[in-house]
Amino acid sequence: MFQFFKNGQKLLGMNARNLEFIRPYNLRRAKRLADDKLLSKRILKKNGVGVPRLLAKITTIEDLENFDWQTLPNSFALKPNRGFGGEGIIVVYGKKKNRTDAWIKADRSLITIEDLRSHVRNILDGSFSLSNTPDTAFFEERLQLLKLFKPYSYKGIPDIRIIVFNKVPIMAMLRLPTKESHGKANLQQGAVGAGIDMATGVTTTAIQGKNKFIEKIPGTEISVSGLRIPYWKDILTLAVKSQEISKLGFLGVDVAIDKDHGPVILELNARPGLSIQVANLAGLAERLKRVSGLKVKTIARGVRMGMDLFGGEIEEELEEISGRRVIGTIEKVRLTGKNGKTVEVEAKIDTGAGYTSISTELAKKLGYEKTVEAYEKITHTYAELQLLSKLERWDIYKDIPDIATTVIVHSSHGTTYRPTIRITMTMHGWIIPTKVTLIDRTHLKYPIIIGNKNLGRFLIDVTK
Amino acid sequence: METTLSPLIQSFILTGVPVETIILILMLPIIATLIAFLRQVVGIKAFGIYTPLIITFAFLATNGLRYGVALFLVILFVGMLMRFMLKPFRLLYLPRVAIMLTVVALFILFFLVLGGTVQRTGLASVSIFPIVIMITLVEKFVSVQIEKGDKTALILAFETLIISIAGFYIASWSFLQISLLAHPWLILFTIPVNIIIGKWTGLRVSEYIRFRNILKKI
Repeated sequence: MFQFFKNGQKLLGMNARNLEFIRPYNLRRAKRLADDKLLSKRILKKNGVGVPRLLAKITTIEDLENFDWQTLPNSFALKPNRGFGGEGIIVVYGKKKNRTDAWIKADRSLITIEDLRSHVRNILDGSFSLSNTPDTAFFEERLQLLKLFKPYSYKGIPDIRIIVFNKVPIMAMLRLPTKESHGKANLQQGAVGAGIDMATGVTTTAIQGKNKFIEKIPGTEISVSGLRIPYWKDILTLAVKSQEISKLGFLGVDVAIDKDHGPVILELNARPGLSIQVANLAGLAERLKRVSGLKVKTIARGVRMGMDLFGGEIEEELEEISGRRVIGTIEKVRLTGKNGKTVEVEAKIDTGAGYTSISTELAKKLGYEKTVEAYEKITHTYAELQLLSKLERWDIYKDIPDIATTVIVHSSHGTTYRPTIRITMTMHGWIIPTKVTLIDRTHLKYPIIIGNKNLGRFLIDVTK
Repeated sequence: METTLSPLIQSFILTGVPVETIILILMLPIIATLIAFLRQVVGIKAFGIYTPLIITFAFLATNGLRYGVALFLVILFVGMLMRFMLKPFRLLYLPRVAIMLTVVALFILFFLVLGGTVQRTGLASVSIFPIVIMITLVEKFVSVQIEKGDKTALILAFETLIISIAGFYIASWSFLQISLLAHPWLILFTIPVNIIIGKWTGLRVSEYIRFRNILKKI
């Protein structure tokens, strides 16, 4: 029960989403861009990002009166510009034979010009827009379903939702239209949402609707998991790129794959939903925390980080077999020092070092100011200390407050005596109480180097 | 009760402001805070803050809770019924709501007359103010119905009803009324309370329910 509530911290809830992510990272102007599909389409296209081609738009009643319906191709999608949740979208697949005034919808029912006109009127009236404000209707090309997805989706076209934060793709979900959702890739209406392993683009766990876990595509014997999404890296790159263009710091990107044109951006979402967490069986809050504050310089780097940080399946398998955790060469660690003082820092993992060492600066932050002060007063060099007996040496050091032991450290700077102090490290969820040596490392990049003595329970992946 | 009035309230009453009105106005921030709390911490959405608040007041103004609830249910019933009936006509939004309002108005009239004939005079003498307020519920209901569907609209309406009933009981709690009349500045406490609620970033109770499966698994 306690674990149940503790896990709550890993999940992103509505309150935190709005207050900690949408409010500070999605400025009003950027949000306006996302809410205006035509505008975002134009801007994305201008920046070289693929979007479905715009066929025509209807802004006013006069436009509607004068609209030449015969200019429309055999298949198209009619959408409200400011629609949300996939409402108000009509997709037609072909013209009815021998008729110029009717098209066929996904469910084989007919839709006439008169029906379309009435629908456009409703769109203009704002029936599908946020807060019912008057809206624009537009027609765009219908995307062609990829053969690979055919057995997985009912009538409509699947899309991929990717959450991007701080230029890193955080989490993704494949949305598959079902009979219940009437061919729409909308979870609320009963579509299937499949979690995706970020490293490989392979689907993992899945839900239907908002909360029902499933293993097979409804009505079939096809397993939802194990589907490898093509163009995976390109899709992530597109997603991060559209974040850069839209300047939405916390963004939900919807990508679809067209048979001929490959991945295209369907729309940008400034208020991405939270069900993606259920589909992935993973918390957004936890992942967001891991990338916040990182300086991601390029799109490629961001994509790489997303794949490395949040693609865990294969590693997990390895971890299960070996009973060890896979870590990279740079890891976040939490250090607890005197009187419970806690600092979180990035540590360098160095298998060439024996003891873990921390900088005197860091030691001060952990509550060992006095230790550092006393240590810095000792000016004996190694050459001098070497001549002394063990006891005599200890006499020099023993008055340092909170000292645990002294050790001999051989490093590239030569051999030194260093005092050690006791701290507790938490890395990847493992709590490691240990003795660490002190060193003046102000000239070095990382305030802590974790050495062999504390790495027994980890496997190091140098590409991470 | 007279003896515990704060001097400020006493002076208000002397200028002719009715005590009932003062109580209602002092209750407003309390009910509003309750609604904010229920939304942000518990996760009961209802129709925003305004609708449950004003329905609470409508309940307070009808003669007893049951008539208020009865009116509420009549309106919902007609809302559902009319949506079903108007569907084939494919009307635009405002005309559709106008028809809905007409039918609701007729139904309420019928309802009041019915109350009169079965000697439920309390119902027939309900003032126009709460009735009009309740009718505004129709628009809210219809717009949610269109945007999110019948099920969501019904759930939100039900939540609104629950909140309004809770609000009704709080606002008619005599201990609270007396305390507020004695210490009207107490309502200022709702501001820090709302600041805390406004900064609350934890999961809502409803989200613990929504995410229960993954909370068990991660």
